Amino acid sequence: MFRKNTEKPRTPGPGGAGTVSAAGIAGVFRDCYDFELRKLRLGGEGLEVALAFVDGLVSGGDISEQVIRPLTEARRFPAGTTAQGAMESMLSGSVYAYTAKKRQNLEEAVDDILNGYCAVIFDGEGVAVTFEVKTDQRRSVEAPKEEKVVKGSKDAFVETMKTNTSLVRRKLHNPHLKIRDFSVGEKSKTALTLIYIEGFTNPEMVEEAAKRISAIECEGALNSGIIESGLVDNPRSPFPQVLHTERVDKFCLNLLEGRFGVLVDGIPFGFLAPGTFSQFLKVPEDHTQHFLVASALTLLRYFSVALTLLAPAFYVAVAMYHQEMIPTRLMLSMIEAKQQVPFPTAMEALMMLLAFELLQEAGIRLPSPIGETVSIIGALIVGQSAVEASVVSPVVVVVIALAGIAGYTMPNQDLGAALRICRFILVLMAIALGMFGISLGCALLVYHLAGLESYGVPYMTPFAGSEGREFSRALLRRSFQVKRDREPALRTGPGGEAKL
Amino acid sequence: MKRAAAIMLALSLALGLNGCGSGLTIFSNYRRLENIELVRTVTADAEGGDITATVYSDAGKESDPRMYQRTASSIGVALGELQLMALGRVALLSHTENMLIGEELAAESLGECLDYVERYSEMRLDTGLMIVREGTARELVSGLSGPDAPSSDVIKGFADNISRAGQGYVFSCREIIASLCENGYALAMCVAGEKAEDKLFESRGELDIRPRGLAVLTAEGISGFLDDEETTGALLVLSKYRSKDMDIPVGDTVVTLDLDGFETQVRPVFDREGALRGMKIKLHVSANIINLSGTAEVSRRDYRERAQDELSRELREAIEAAVGRSQEMGIDFLDLRGFAARAEPIKLQDMPGSFEEALPDLEVEVTAESSIRRTYDIMDPPQTAKDKEVKNPWENLIESLRDS
Amino acid sequence: MGKSDRVTERQLRVLTFLCLLSPMIRILPSAAVMFAGLPAWISPVPAFLLGLLYVKTLNLLTGSAPEGQGAAGMCVSALGPVAGRVFCIVCGLWLTFYAGFVARSAAERLLATVYPNGTNAVFIVALLLGAAFTASGMAKTLSRAAEVLMPIILGVAVLVILSAAPEMSVDRLLPVTYRDCARVLYGAAPIFDVLTGFCYFLFLRGFVSRPRGIRPNHFPWLAALSLMAFAITVVTLGTLGDSLAETMDNAFFMVVRNISVFGLVERVEAVVVAIWIVTDFIFLSALLMIVGEIWRTVTGATRHAVFSVPTAVLSGAAAFLIAGNAFELQKWSDFIIPITNIVFTVVLIPAALAVGKIRKKY
Repeated sequence: MFRKNTEKPRTPGPGGAGTVSAAGIAGVFRDCYDFELRKLRLGGEGLEVALAFVDGLVSGGDISEQVIRPLTEARRFPAGTTAQGAMESMLSGSVYAYTAKKRQNLEEAVDDILNGYCAVIFDGEGVAVTFEVKTDQRRSVEAPKEEKVVKGSKDAFVETMKTNTSLVRRKLHNPHLKIRDFSVGEKSKTALTLIYIEGFTNPEMVEEAAKRISAIECEGALNSGIIESGLVDNPRSPFPQVLHTERVDKFCLNLLEGRFGVLVDGIPFGFLAPGTFSQFLKVPEDHTQHFLVASALTLLRYFSVALTLLAPAFYVAVAMYHQEMIPTRLMLSMIEAKQQVPFPTAMEALMMLLAFELLQEAGIRLPSPIGETVSIIGALIVGQSAVEASVVSPVVVVVIALAGIAGYTMPNQDLGAALRICRFILVLMAIALGMFGISLGCALLVYHLAGLESYGVPYMTPFAGSEGREFSRALLRRSFQVKRDREPALRTGPGGEAKL
Repeated sequence: MKRAAAIMLALSLALGLNGCGSGLTIFSNYRRLENIELVRTVTADAEGGDITATVYSDAGKESDPRMYQRTASSIGVALGELQLMALGRVALLSHTENMLIGEELAAESLGECLDYVERYSEMRLDTGLMIVREGTARELVSGLSGPDAPSSDVIKGFADNISRAGQGYVFSCREIIASLCENGYALAMCVAGEKAEDKLFESRGELDIRPRGLAVLTAEGISGFLDDEETTGALLVLSKYRSKDMDIPVGDTVVTLDLDGFETQVRPVFDREGALRGMKIKLHVSANIINLSGTAEVSRRDYRERAQDELSRELREAIEAAVGRSQEMGIDFLDLRGFAARAEPIKLQDMPGSFEEALPDLEVEVTAESSIRRTYDIMDPPQTAKDKEVKNPWENLIESLRDS
Repeated sequence: MGKSDRVTERQLRVLTFLCLLSPMIRILPSAAVMFAGLPAWISPVPAFLLGLLYVKTLNLLTGSAPEGQGAAGMCVSALGPVAGRVFCIVCGLWLTFYAGFVARSAAERLLATVYPNGTNAVFIVALLLGAAFTASGMAKTLSRAAEVLMPIILGVAVLVILSAAPEMSVDRLLPVTYRDCARVLYGAAPIFDVLTGFCYFLFLRGFVSRPRGIRPNHFPWLAALSLMAFAITVVTLGTLGDSLAETMDNAFFMVVRNISVFGLVERVEAVVVAIWIVTDFIFLSALLMIVGEIWRTVTGATRHAVFSVPTAVLSGAAAFLIAGNAFELQKWSDFIIPITNIVFTVVLIPAALAVGKIRKKY
């Protein structure tokens, strides 16, 4: 969809390619019904200029009051005002728009117009002055939908870049907070900002991120996937390597830990890197709860990772090859339950895993009210009916359901999806090689994770690469009364202990 | 990525080679769950020169327990041939809880049965081993089975509770094999079936399983049996009881004591030349009063002391009986040598001759001490109105102080 | 090795520790009991002291070598380009063979414990395929994987040992007197044989980036290995006794067979064996990487990865051909492999390094 198109669009103009003119701009916006171009006389009777804008991106009221009215006032632009004089006057504040830019390049002028500016074009000079008059029509800041916290702030990112950056600025009143802007996508020219704290965030990481962002080649950056794949070190790995969050406080907290953030216009969440495995198991509520509670819940999440990954494979291996591990009473009831089931254990497990995935997909794709109902009905009725019809044994249903529920405790859905893929692979290895297959599969999985890096930070930090000193940081949350060192892996700037 | 894909492809070949003769799979170990016959008890009896192996399986609530039997030249072959059972079922021996061996087979080929348990990876070493006297093992196990009480449950209950009931101790195959390897001898629990004359519950089988002392095993087979008193003495020395109830007559009364703390100390006695002359066995037992028949004041110290003395005497006699039997047989099944080695290792190494040679002539001094720690809820039985004496409370206090 | 493929000293020690758990479970406790009898449970103590001395000696011999140079490069510097290369080739061939032996032993252990009706081939092929894949990667990846896996394996081992402890009888561990000193020392020999495995990981020294002033600290890792040896021996001897422990091939796993975890899982042998296979797998991967590194030094290649697959194939051939049955393999395991191992780790390789030190090559 976003293959690079090397053919550059032609932008003809009377002054030649690249110079600003009304005809040139009109030519660019040919066949655009929302494009407006009107002629104005400065001061009412003076020099003729053209006003170009895209209706829908600009505020009509602001254009009228802040741009057209002062342009047509004779006291501001008396008769005989030259183009140069008019331009200087506009740039000096005679026009009330809070942003004014002088553009001598057609492409820049077009970009401005597409970003909610209106352009006052001086045809004879080949120059335009653009004023920001963006419309206020945007989604308002709402509470987060996915990452809900009881005792936290209730603002989440929206689609508008400037709103998002302002939300960040409101939380971090730090003059060293830098926001570098980029444009991604040949045709969409999506705005993207790289946010970091100068002197604190590792500059090598920042420069590497800037390089990668600049290297993103696509025609349109309208979804997060293209941005993520450009940011990560290993795009082929199913495991997420970049955090994303809709919460502004979580975004800022990670900036304060030494990460850098990326905001993209049109995408209502922020990206954070470097991302490590332990980060994907943290939730915003960890910082609002008591440290013991937060630590216990973090450990529960790690347990859930093991459960979702290993439970089905463990069951298959034990039921097929290692029945001696099953306690006698349980074994008797399992044998009894399996008497009428025509399928072997391996098929049962695979069928139930597939059914679980189908129900989950159906629940997501269907509209909300139906989707929830389908999921519940599917889970209860289909599962129960399958057991009663002796299509599957109840133990398999329990095991797969447990594994699925454990997967839902993952705070990050990308991680949950990656674990689901690995779960399937481990089940296949258990079918082929029993417990040996599971251990070999897990060893290879750990090897794969150990090989991942995110901007020079090992993915399995702090379990690996931290010299054994930061282990507890991943599993437990220390009390805020205890002064903590920053994460050494992020190689932040000087400053000693972190104060939170 | 290409490398990973190549490896995954190669590994996935294993899946496709199901049943392939080259054996690049482990499907030969695959057992379908629904085809499993879960064996919980195994019996073995001598049949002419062969061995008859019988397995008892439970099939859960909905089906009756099943029994499968096979006779062959060895227990391994017999149990292997059992796999050729009807309905394509597979006997899974890994859950075998207890193994019962007929006396005749135990006398001839117990080592073979133990070797099978030790060698075959499906069997567990902590399988309990019992020797069946007065009949065959399979008759006993079959007779134990009732409509709602599978024989395996009965045997497991027996094995689990016998040491708590103080009636014996079921040695596991591991204990027996380890003892035979280290010392050349071992003890094994003997059982027999008794006709269940008074069937309290309809669900019970025709027979009850009862303890019949211990068998003394050597590498050759059974060397002898211990009667009840000798069994009690042996298990006291070896500290195998978890608890034991004993009735102790004290005058006109009989007090039932629950023994729950056993501590045995054994020390060798050497002469000046370094020869082993004797052993001192000291047993300390703690007990609680759980029942009293007759009228007695257990709160009185002198009553308790009489009970303790009587208990100590009975325990001492039991140990002396066991020691005497050991000396008579010339087999150190009480592991006195082990006790001596731990207490005086250097002297034992330097002693002239071997411990086994010295055993029959050793002077064994047995001391038993018991202490009654408590009774439950009721100190003294309530007095009837006729027997009640109205006493001065100060007199009561002085009496109790004098007692303590 | 690439500039980005760097490990810390600690990571290399973790990798070493995890790898040496593999031969440890192969020889303990039967080899130690074979030499020492009942007092074998004390043998890890002198083995630890000997190991400490040994590793310190290795440090003295290699401490001044430049960063980025592994033992292969040091041997070539020490013995000269021709003799050094020949020596490295001999070491490489021995380690290739040893890798095959490790794969075969692991497969036999699986067959003897949890897959009685299986065949060697599937396990050998699967292990070597996986090891070839991991050995062709970066040393830092393997080291980090070892860092992640180590607490899991140790946790399971500790849990298993604690679960087995109630079955122990202290009486089976006694008596031990001063007269058993010699036996205890004899029993330390096979454990020391395992600890000398530190020597092989010198060939990966070239990957280590050592900040100035940080001295390698081997004490905790040697202590941990010795403690593990002690725990395995104590538990097995305490449960089975010395006679039984000596005759059984996999005595520790026989003890594990009887463990039940809170009645939830019985006979956890399959899980423990599977977890321990991970140590075999990591050890195999490390050996293949070490051999690759040796060949890289000998041939002057830029990457060790190109040698992983050929080495794995050769090791596979060794694994299949080394012994026709478990009895022959046991002979290799009891005598030939330990003796050859000692010859290389205690005599040949330290001698070559000493020559280099004396000649002031590094």
